[in-house]
Amino acid sequence: MITDHDPKLVALFAKAEAELDDTDFTADVMRMIDDQRRKTLLVWLVFVIAGIIGFALVAAPVITAVSMATELLPTSLVNFESDWISMLLAPVNSVAAAIALGALAIRSFYRRVFR
Amino acid sequence: MLVGLSRTGNRGAFAELVTRRQAWIRNLMRRCSGDATLADDLSQQVFMQAWRSIRQLHDSERFAPWLKRLAINTWLQHKRRNDPLRAADEHCDNDASHQDHTGVAMDLDHALATLPDDVRLCIVLSYHERMTHAEIEAVTGMPLGTIKSHIRRGTKRLQEELAAYADTAKETT
Repeated sequence: MITDHDPKLVALFAKAEAELDDTDFTADVMRMIDDQRRKTLLVWLVFVIAGIIGFALVAAPVITAVSMATELLPTSLVNFESDWISMLLAPVNSVAAAIALGALAIRSFYRRVFR
Repeated sequence: MLVGLSRTGNRGAFAELVTRRQAWIRNLMRRCSGDATLADDLSQQVFMQAWRSIRQLHDSERFAPWLKRLAINTWLQHKRRNDPLRAADEHCDNDASHQDHTGVAMDLDHALATLPDDVRLCIVLSYHERMTHAEIEAVTGMPLGTIKSHIRRGTKRLQEELAAYADTAKETT
């Protein structure tokens, strides 16, 4: 595949290949890597602190909402004699079905667009 | 071994890799860009990208081709960005950046600069990196026929631009 090369040009390319001294190149690269690492750490730190502050602010209402949901969702809105039918018609099943359908839709969309 | 150590996050090993490979990548970038300063900037980006993604390299033996692919991708991305201000700066800095070039390298870079971007890339990968047409196709995504025609056209153009070197070669023999 590379037999059609002009030998004179090959020689010129080889001659033009300079023995470049490192002179600070490696040091610059490592310094840039360190700078980037520091920036990444800083961003993570900001996120973690913001997360902790945010959690502290909304923790109480969130815990109340979660405890209400865990109490109400498994309770059937209509009373049946059979416990099985009551369990099947509990709101938690509707929520789970909506989440499952949403996940399947996202998966299908991802496969069509990105694969 | 250095690649393996670098994959575990060993900075010293990675620094040694940079030291060993810097001349190769910088020369490749110089042939692509024709500008020593820009070439060094892009080479630094290549090694930073290498540090970020070296854990994804599963086969240490494939480090060199992997690094070359990173370098070519970095160059292609730079071309796509095509920042006009930066291009103007590069143009202004060109004379100064060539100070440490040898005469042959300067003339070669000057001749390469007369080629369209895609043609120059194909020529550099073919002549400088000794890559086959199929390898160039895999890296650049250009069709094989286009690559062949780019190399044919580029070779012809370089032969014309660098005819003086062919003449001196004849005289010395």
